[in-house]
Amino acid sequence: MTLHWEIVWQNLPRLLDGALMTIWLSVVTMALAIPGGLILASMRLSRFRPISVLATAFVEFFRATPLILQIYWAYYVLPAYFDIQLSQISTAILGLTCNISSFNSETFRSGIVSIRKGQWNAGRAIGMTDGQIMLHIVLPQAVMRILLALATTWVSLFKDTSLVSIIAVGDLSYVSLQIRSETYRILEVLSAMAAIYWLMGYPQAKIVDWVHRRYKVAE
Amino acid sequence: MSISFAPFINSWPFLLKAVWVTLMISVISMAVGFIIGVFVGGLRTYGGRLLDILLGFYVDTMRSVPLLVILVWLYFAFPLLIGQSIDVTTAAIAALGIHLGAYMAETIRAGLTSVRKGQMSSALALGMSRTQAVRTIILPQAIIRMLPSLGSLFVFAIKDSAIASVIAVPEILRQTQVVAGNTYRPFELYTAAMVVYFLLCFPVARGVDKIYRRVAHLGSS
Repeated sequence: MTLHWEIVWQNLPRLLDGALMTIWLSVVTMALAIPGGLILASMRLSRFRPISVLATAFVEFFRATPLILQIYWAYYVLPAYFDIQLSQISTAILGLTCNISSFNSETFRSGIVSIRKGQWNAGRAIGMTDGQIMLHIVLPQAVMRILLALATTWVSLFKDTSLVSIIAVGDLSYVSLQIRSETYRILEVLSAMAAIYWLMGYPQAKIVDWVHRRYKVAE
Repeated sequence: MSISFAPFINSWPFLLKAVWVTLMISVISMAVGFIIGVFVGGLRTYGGRLLDILLGFYVDTMRSVPLLVILVWLYFAFPLLIGQSIDVTTAAIAALGIHLGAYMAETIRAGLTSVRKGQMSSALALGMSRTQAVRTIILPQAIIRMLPSLGSLFVFAIKDSAIASVIAVPEILRQTQVVAGNTYRPFELYTAAMVVYFLLCFPVARGVDKIYRRVAHLGSS
């Protein structure tokens, strides 16, 4: 078997463009999913039941169905049945954001809930409002735990962006699969794709491990 | 917008079969992942530094490369290396299995290391071999503690099996695409597929939580 690695080198600029798209998608999704998760988490903790039920249903639904199906659904159903015309990239970002927001909302919620009730009572006893307690007492402690969990979510988000290739968003996996069908150098191109993902993802996984070891919050 | 349930009435046996394929793929790849996980997790915990580094490399590689990439590579590129094509379902189970195996290994390692060191020392002092100690004392406690993580990994296996639709494994998502394409009813079919996945995943997640709450005391020491 002869291997033609030059195909990979010739197409390297396109592969790198795809890799940039993968990074861009992850950054944009996370930037939207952090506020999204905060909103969902505060809705879930709301005392007004319809709001908390709605947020719970949203979160549980997005956590218990496959992301790839959510992307398909957004792509085929939104334009045809709800007359919402989005570009492929916007559809991809919408799907990823709803999914990651749901996971983030659980991160925020468990971060906030992990602060013992006594601290709320103590805050009320010295005359603080619930908002003040949240801002000055609970959040500063919950933040570290939340950041660590967000780092873990980031690593899986980075991998999950590969699924948007099914609706032809030009990320690394889509570009690689395109080059594969243009050149028929399947082994070379797919191995290069895997290698680029590895080169980007491996250091992130290692950094996340290190951050976890370094900043773990012990009670 | 009109909603029609005709696609289900006409093709429910076809779609029901897809549910079984999804379940089969998730259960078998879970089993493959568990076997990999026991070996990798066990060897990383008790096998010395060199094995820990080598197997750690496998685990971290699986954590950094998307399942889609592993699946596509295994199905399209790997057959060129071995000169023999692989059946789609086998490729899906293998990809999902080696991917889950890494996460399973981490879960198992975390479970094993969570049992206090003193228990191993006491077992050795009683004249047990290391294998005996792990098998009869440490593992039974560790397994209980691993239950919640194993449950969520199973949910991930069900959800990730949908990625196998990319290589046309006849599981839920793929067969939904087929019927949606034939009947031009994407709304009904994709929504129904979502509901089916939810009905598969949500009870598993809640069920494992319930079981764990009942048996948690067996794992505490």
